[in-house]
Amino acid sequence: MSVAALGFAFAVATLAVMFLGMPIAFALGSVATVFMALFMPAASLDTIAQNVYEEMASITLLSIPLFILKGAAIGRSNAGRDLYLAMHAWMQRIPGGLGIANVVTCALFAAMAGSSPATCSAIGSAGIPEMRRRGYSPGFASGIIAAGGTLGILLPPSITMILYAVAAEVSLGRLFLAGLGPGLLLVVLFSLYAMWKYRREVADARRAFDANGTTHAFLDAHTYTARERFEMLPRVLPFVVLLIGVMGALYGGYATPSETAGLGGVLALLLIASVYGVWRGRDLAPILQATIRESTMLMFIIGMSLLFSYVMSYLHISQSAAQAIVEMQLSRWPLLAAILLLVVVLGFFLPPVSIILMTAPILLPPLRAAGFDLIWFGILMTIVMEMGLIHPPVGLNIFVIRNIAPDIPLADIIWGVLPFVVLMMVAVLVICVFPGIALWLPAATMN
Amino acid sequence: MSAGGPVIAGAALPADATLAERLLHAVNRAAVGVSMVALVAAAVVLTYSVASRYLFKASTDWQDETAVFLLVGVTFLCAPWVQQQRGHIGIEAIVAILPPRVNHARRIVVDFLCLLFCGFFAWKSWKLLHEAWVDGQTTSSTWAAPLWIPYGLMTLGMALLTLQIALQLAPHRGRLVR
Repeated sequence: MSVAALGFAFAVATLAVMFLGMPIAFALGSVATVFMALFMPAASLDTIAQNVYEEMASITLLSIPLFILKGAAIGRSNAGRDLYLAMHAWMQRIPGGLGIANVVTCALFAAMAGSSPATCSAIGSAGIPEMRRRGYSPGFASGIIAAGGTLGILLPPSITMILYAVAAEVSLGRLFLAGLGPGLLLVVLFSLYAMWKYRREVADARRAFDANGTTHAFLDAHTYTARERFEMLPRVLPFVVLLIGVMGALYGGYATPSETAGLGGVLALLLIASVYGVWRGRDLAPILQATIRESTMLMFIIGMSLLFSYVMSYLHISQSAAQAIVEMQLSRWPLLAAILLLVVVLGFFLPPVSIILMTAPILLPPLRAAGFDLIWFGILMTIVMEMGLIHPPVGLNIFVIRNIAPDIPLADIIWGVLPFVVLMMVAVLVICVFPGIALWLPAATMN
Repeated sequence: MSAGGPVIAGAALPADATLAERLLHAVNRAAVGVSMVALVAAAVVLTYSVASRYLFKASTDWQDETAVFLLVGVTFLCAPWVQQQRGHIGIEAIVAILPPRVNHARRIVVDFLCLLFCGFFAWKSWKLLHEAWVDGQTTSSTWAAPLWIPYGLMTLGMALLTLQIALQLAPHRGRLVR
């Protein structure tokens, strides 16, 4: 069987079991095992367990459960709500400040929790009702939260980036730093849009008031006193300190990424114990169980994806596919566009974790050959996968918002989210034109 | 949530659960209980690693491996519990458009394939464990931890996972797949 035919059979088999609805982890594992049995030396079947263990038993990968623990601890406490209220009080004087406060809170919280859906649900459950009460249209409010939540996989520490660093064999520390500039760019773009949209919605409300006296929540403002604003700080500051402290330990060279994860988990548990009194077994059990449920599911997908890539590479499928892409002689930018488009399409069906591990061996060699920086590409790929979190058909964050605010029609949420998808495309273009947005910080600090 | 002690979430047992289902349910709960402790322990070990290197300039060869063993244990031992709640995600795009009878058949096929794969994997893990035990294999670090520990956890977890899928598949009293 030629490699091309083998690769085709491999792809078809994978798609078939995946669309049959088999859990992703077992689907990848089964396909890999069957192809091992059919096309690889008999002895290789004996190594599947060892293979999966050795790939999984990397301390970098196993930092993922600990980052999830930190996120779950913070996500299930009231930290999200308090952070949100404080941001709101402080940014309120800016026109559209409430919307901006939501974007910034999402970014901060996402950086602490490292999970997009967790951010959406923690900030959205306080933010969406508040924005609607103040007159924001439901679609606009949902869009802000859905998009703000996606910042979680771009700002460090991001689980998606850990996997990319492993798959692409690039420095995790650099990749984390490279995410900061683009993360900030997205925060600015989202905030500018929020300001513009707010002005438009206020103008509409005023026009309606002038025309037929319809009053609107925008038109009666509530302001916080300085005292109120300062009273909000004590509960929030510890979390901001946690965020900065943990990253400081990593970049100051005191801790490895995995130690950073352990430290973050311990500090998050201590913080929610001291600030919110969450320390009893029955308070902690849901946090730990949510962590275990998510991390077990993820680690299985990761372990099996790695087995899958191993088989693909042993059978020369990945190398030939990569070679075929190189031989198409696409010039740099069409190649990049095609690859990003592929990532978008895969994002319709697969979680970022599987996309990265399954496609890296095929996509990265042609990109490297075309002279692209793989850290820079990692950032672009992350943003594109984030888009997958908020656009149909999967759009995980959209469903999180459906859960928080069941009365907002799905169509409103989708229309509210679309402008943010466009903004993310703009960000991808900007980062293509100015790669320094991503690469300047790691170059400046780590050389 | 009840007031006394930690509560382990999970799919509730049906009133007519078989003895095997009840037993595995209890084993899963125990595994999650142990894993919750192991998870926190892993975080603490890594934190200690930072502290000891910074404060005492001590070498940190055992911490990483201990954390790996703990987290590998958590991952594999809790896999059956996650499976019990059908928490291993798959692509559900097709499910919504299938007629119920076809979807029912699809679930049986899917569960059966999962059963085959996990059973095979459990068997290979067992062989790996056996070899590591007989040859006294250790990790390649200076700490040289015995490899039967993580292999044992992996084998146990995969065996229980296989059993869990078998029970979910087992036709009994008209309930085929829950």
